[in-house]
Amino acid sequence: MSRRFLEIVRFELAYYLRRISTYAYFAIFFALGLLVVSAIGGAFQSVSVGIGGSDGNVYVNSPYVMAVLISSLSLFSVLVTAAVMGHAVYRDYDARIDPLFFTQPIRKLEYLGGRFTGAMLVNLLIFASIPLGLAVACKLPFLDPERLGPFRLAVFVQPFLVFVVPNVLLSGAIFFTLAALTRMMLPNYVGGVIMLVGYMIGASLTTDLDHQTLAALADPFASGAHAIVTKYWTVAERNTRLVPLSGLFLYNRLIWLGVAAAIAAFGFWRFRFAHADGGTRTLLGRRRGIQATSSAHPTSPEGTAPAGPASHALALPAVTPRFDLGLRIRQYVTLTRRAFSEIVRSVYFHALVGAGLLFLGFSAPQVGKLYGTTTYPVTYAALEILTGTFALFMTVIIAFYAGELVWRERDLKANQVHDALPVPTGLPFLAKLTALSLVIAVLLTVILVAGVVTQALKGYFRFELGLYARTLYLMRFSDYVLAAVLALAVHSVVNHKYMGHMIVILYYVFRMFMSELGLEHGLYRYGSTAGELYSDMNGYGPFVTPYFWFRLYWAGVAVLLALATNLFWVRGEESGWRWRLHLARQRITPRLAGGAALAVALVAGTGGFIFYNTNILNEYRTARDTERDLAEYERRYKRFEGLPQPRIVAVDVDVALYPEEGSFTAKGEYRVVNRSDVAIDSVHVLIPRSAEIRALSFGRGERLELEDPERGYRIFRLGTPLQPNDTAVFTFDLAYLSRGFENKVSNTDVVENGSFVHSTMLPSFGYDSRIELSLDRTRRKYGLEPKERMAPVDDPAARMNNYISHDADWVDFAATVSTSPDQIAIAPGYLVREWEEGGRRYFRYEMDAPILHFYSFLSARYAVKRDRWRDVAIEVYYHPGHEYNLDRMIESVKRSLEYFTENFGPYQHRQVRIVEFPRYASFAQAFPNTIPYSEGIGFIARIENEEKDVDYPFYVTAHEVAHQWWAHQVIGGNVQGATLLSETLAQYSALMVMEREYGPQQMKRFLRHELDNYLLGRSMEAKKEVPLLLVENQGYIHYNKGSLVMYALRDYIGEERLNAALRAFLEETKFQGPPYANSLELLAHLEAATPDSLRYILDDLFHTITLYENKATAATFTEQGDGTYRVTLTVEARKLRADSLGNEVEVPVDDWIDIGVFGERREGRKVEETTLYLAKHRVTSGTNVIEVQVNERPVRAGIDPLHKLIDRHTDDNVVAVRPGG
Amino acid sequence: MELRIENLSKTYPNGVQALRGVTLTIPRGMFGLLGPNGAGKSTLMRILATLQEPDTGSVRLGDIDVLNEKDRVRRTLGYLPQEFGLYPKATAEELLEHFAVLKGIGNRRERREIVKALLEQTNLYEVRKRKLGTFSGGMRQRFGIAIALLGNPQLIIVDEPTAGLDPAERVRFLNLLSELGENAVVILSTHIVEDVSELCSRMAIISHGRILLEGEPQAGIEALRGRIWRKVVAKDELAAYEASHRVISTRLLAGRTVIHVEADAQPDPTFEPVEADLEDVYFSAMLGAGDRSALASAGAGL
Repeated sequence: MSRRFLEIVRFELAYYLRRISTYAYFAIFFALGLLVVSAIGGAFQSVSVGIGGSDGNVYVNSPYVMAVLISSLSLFSVLVTAAVMGHAVYRDYDARIDPLFFTQPIRKLEYLGGRFTGAMLVNLLIFASIPLGLAVACKLPFLDPERLGPFRLAVFVQPFLVFVVPNVLLSGAIFFTLAALTRMMLPNYVGGVIMLVGYMIGASLTTDLDHQTLAALADPFASGAHAIVTKYWTVAERNTRLVPLSGLFLYNRLIWLGVAAAIAAFGFWRFRFAHADGGTRTLLGRRRGIQATSSAHPTSPEGTAPAGPASHALALPAVTPRFDLGLRIRQYVTLTRRAFSEIVRSVYFHALVGAGLLFLGFSAPQVGKLYGTTTYPVTYAALEILTGTFALFMTVIIAFYAGELVWRERDLKANQVHDALPVPTGLPFLAKLTALSLVIAVLLTVILVAGVVTQALKGYFRFELGLYARTLYLMRFSDYVLAAVLALAVHSVVNHKYMGHMIVILYYVFRMFMSELGLEHGLYRYGSTAGELYSDMNGYGPFVTPYFWFRLYWAGVAVLLALATNLFWVRGEESGWRWRLHLARQRITPRLAGGAALAVALVAGTGGFIFYNTNILNEYRTARDTERDLAEYERRYKRFEGLPQPRIVAVDVDVALYPEEGSFTAKGEYRVVNRSDVAIDSVHVLIPRSAEIRALSFGRGERLELEDPERGYRIFRLGTPLQPNDTAVFTFDLAYLSRGFENKVSNTDVVENGSFVHSTMLPSFGYDSRIELSLDRTRRKYGLEPKERMAPVDDPAARMNNYISHDADWVDFAATVSTSPDQIAIAPGYLVREWEEGGRRYFRYEMDAPILHFYSFLSARYAVKRDRWRDVAIEVYYHPGHEYNLDRMIESVKRSLEYFTENFGPYQHRQVRIVEFPRYASFAQAFPNTIPYSEGIGFIARIENEEKDVDYPFYVTAHEVAHQWWAHQVIGGNVQGATLLSETLAQYSALMVMEREYGPQQMKRFLRHELDNYLLGRSMEAKKEVPLLLVENQGYIHYNKGSLVMYALRDYIGEERLNAALRAFLEETKFQGPPYANSLELLAHLEAATPDSLRYILDDLFHTITLYENKATAATFTEQGDGTYRVTLTVEARKLRADSLGNEVEVPVDDWIDIGVFGERREGRKVEETTLYLAKHRVTSGTNVIEVQVNERPVRAGIDPLHKLIDRHTDDNVVAVRPGG
Repeated sequence: MELRIENLSKTYPNGVQALRGVTLTIPRGMFGLLGPNGAGKSTLMRILATLQEPDTGSVRLGDIDVLNEKDRVRRTLGYLPQEFGLYPKATAEELLEHFAVLKGIGNRRERREIVKALLEQTNLYEVRKRKLGTFSGGMRQRFGIAIALLGNPQLIIVDEPTAGLDPAERVRFLNLLSELGENAVVILSTHIVEDVSELCSRMAIISHGRILLEGEPQAGIEALRGRIWRKVVAKDELAAYEASHRVISTRLLAGRTVIHVEADAQPDPTFEPVEADLEDVYFSAMLGAGDRSALASAGAGL
């Protein structure tokens, strides 16, 4: 290393250490670290954020959380490296000192290398603030000590080395090269932003299961790679393991360090150690234009000079300037045109839009994907995905060009000429705003075209241009114009370009955290609305009215901002506040004052109206208010838990839905019985707080003893106590009236088209512990003890209730539902009468057998498709236009009824109805003989290739039909394992129906997703993972693991035997009341059906959390003389048992596991895998050598090749078979 | 119509007193404002061009109160600042059209005519389709004048227009300036004496925010007639001469120093009389203000 090189490095370091920005960057990242850790460490009362599971059992200072934080914060470092690395080369040109340097006896390598090294060291110094800030933060005294684990230094140092250092080297090399070759700074600033935004969007698009390896390697900053390699980490692993510097992650780092080196080398090679004259070749190999402000030499001949001094007067044609309205309009137009062309002709605009288009291109294939399934690319989906992708670019373009536009004339030094023109001061601002708005409109049109093209390419031609226009040109356009006004106003008033950008960015960051800080009201969230969600059934429905008012309000605010901007717009050379205020006073004209008064009136008027709606007609409640009420509910009334209360035995309810008004009333009666052995003298009634109570009565001379409307709790003391086995009739009359609109539209129960009201809106009896705050951390915040999620599996008291209602067993049910005359209203039961009265349509439904106290009421303008299966009527109530999958649903109902009646027992009803509802919720739910089904999940599903795509509507329908047995015939008690009896068994039943229809190949694909979801789910467990037998209503266990377990069990003991066991269990527990069934009872049947030799699998599948690490290490074959092949396969098997946090212990393997050998059969071009051998072998811990004989040439072989067992590394189960001796 | 400036003062926040009670009356025709760098010329120009606010004083253009009726001034103002930039990607014609609208020429036919005429007058017609980013300094300066001349301005302010131009460009530019209408007040600020002597019928000399001299250039020269004496001295004698005589300027000539001395009579026979020119007027005025440093810098500028 030469001395000159070291001197350059030293100079560079010293230079940056004198600069305030170096310390500012350091401070910003240090502070970010402090802030994030404080937030997730529970330092702020109102903030509840969790990162990487830190809101559960993962420690805030765990290696995993720190690795996630350090890698994410290191992403933002690109903004700083862009500036620092760019500056390291650019500042010589900026200061025009480059000729001095280039004439020194320095070699290019010393100059560039020295600068690069120096700046890189400075960068690393700056970003040492990330681990430093986090480490200091973890020691802060006000963090919740329960959320901190032991302090380890490596937790901060190692991620710095594996994320920050390589990332800074990579982005540093890129930006150093960019600045060295373009000799400009702006490409770096723009490049930094594009890189960051692009990375974030790119990361959100690579979620496909099939390309995880590629995604992990292609991730330049490795935060995605880290997420992929750690995605199945349990709580225990997250708390103890450092970033694994091996495998994919290691390759990723090596690849990108190589790329960094290559880019730096390219930069060094292309850099010309010479003065930048007009002929300098740039990165793009083009000649640079001559700077407008330099007095450079003429590049082409110009007009000839007049010969000699002439003294004649200048003869110009006469003009008559006229400053009338017409001229003002012309001025406005020409200024707008000028500003517009200044934006769209700029190369950075092209870069930003180009990058945006690229990402549109990337995200377009996502249109019509939903949880890994394909749907029709309906217009709202195209709009949501494409506008979502483009939103970040839009925001960046608006923020960036707001600054550029405000400063354009001053940057060009054209401001003096402009400011002295006879143009009203407000006009340039208005023109710039208009230009920016036009740019927004153009970009929105790009989205529209992209959307239509995407739909067409996917063979979908139902373009809803009206919806496109409304969403893009009204809603998104007004969003962005409001943002533009704000950004322009900030830049004009702040009058400092970088400060302006900083304030705009800080504003956006602040907005993201506003609701976390409890600031949820739309009246102080600039540009906010009450939310929006489009539904094919209901349009923008309930969101329209509040949207309109909020928009009007914020438009008024925007006008005020614009007027303020007009007052403080810098015109002329006076930029001191004294003169700006002086000028502002001069600019207050009666017209402006009048405009301001109007705007104030608009803001006050609409603001008052909004406040009246959101806070007076409705209740304004933050998430925290709700938490506090729940805590208070528990504190006050927990003592009444288990108090004997009446049981509901019959329900007759009259529900009147008013779709146009968004209201409904529920009037009816419960017949109740005292099933306890003591007299009941007081009844505790729970009614949702939003209900207006018109009447409540027991007809027993009762007295309201306690009324707590905040928590919806009331205690009635009965004049005549209810004696054991005594019956009473409880009548109620409730009204849920929609008044005005809410701050955030939450009430989507009754809407214009597609109402869905759940029985939880009706009164219930007794303290309900299921609604208590469940997260221990939240409970601690309100001084409540941690609590178990569910009662133990054999808790006799808890088994006195089923897990879906706490005040009823099996009830008789009848309902009258009324609605608008053009709609059909539906409730469980059979339609016995339908009539019209007083301009409303009435439906009377009655159930002929007892059902669970669990029902719903729906209404919409439905079309109906009918069919039959034997004596069961099948009806699908759907939204016209959503005919795509009706046949699949009906087919599924038929196949399900067939399979279930054949294997489990008869269907208890005479009818199956599927009823579509809007996508305000995206689930399907089984009520007795009635299955509400969201328009978002099955109705628009698109199954193009029945061999490849999972038939989602078919599967969901089968699952819901299965619930008619597994939930509506046998229902678990409110204890652990309850959902095993309903969800897992429904899942198994649906799998069997699907396998019968589509064959085992489909199952393989389906189960692969189930395995992935189970492993992901357990890694995000916030409390504790439990064995399937004890599942505590955890979806990843009862659905995903449930599928795997039941499928494996069927494989071991056979479908017939398993179904017989299930049938026997059902027979035994059908329509059983308290004490309700539990999972132990089911397991007894399964045990009886399982041969002794396989009993151990029940332990693995149900009693414990068991994971396998099966692996094939080698396979060879020898050809026998008789045309058969002998395959020798070496496999390893490990079995691990995990505790509730994921700590594992190895247990010995002595298990029956599938061994498979596969061949290939060619049919034309298609290569199909054939199964040559598949049988269970006894496998023990460690290495096993297995020999089998097959009749065809083997290609692949392995252990558990179909992934029936839970194994985190399924890709090493099979190996290629090689010829051998 | 004439421009009356009364008692104009301006102090910057950093304490620099840019103008100290400037009073001037400027009639129609070319008016030269001469002064060294930092004398307050640009501040004065910007105040006249409605871009800056004085602390005290008043400015009237005919019946217009310049300080408070900015819009009226702007309607009749042509302003070419000392340094200005242009949108590099616009063409000359396109941008001049743009400025014509901003200057109030709404009539399309009139606008076409005036733009064409101005491009021709400024010799830019042939390059009207070229992007401004490719213009040379002189072309840009002429384009600036074209902008300033749009819309019959009654008050034309040209701030240091020849700075940075090569000699040929400067000649072309001054020719153009000299053609400016006789119906307007034209103020040319410069620190180059020849610009004034060649063009202006009236002038003022400004230094340290004060007007040192105001009048016709010719009258100034008349006043010095027979009072300027020249001598070539050795470098080491200079100090002595400066102590004993009123040396208004010095310049190097082939290794020797030539001094100009102002005196009622020939100081001694070694001095030879010279014909006073505007430069002597300028230096004399500057010296009168006791400003030797200004003198030195002005000397260097010549």
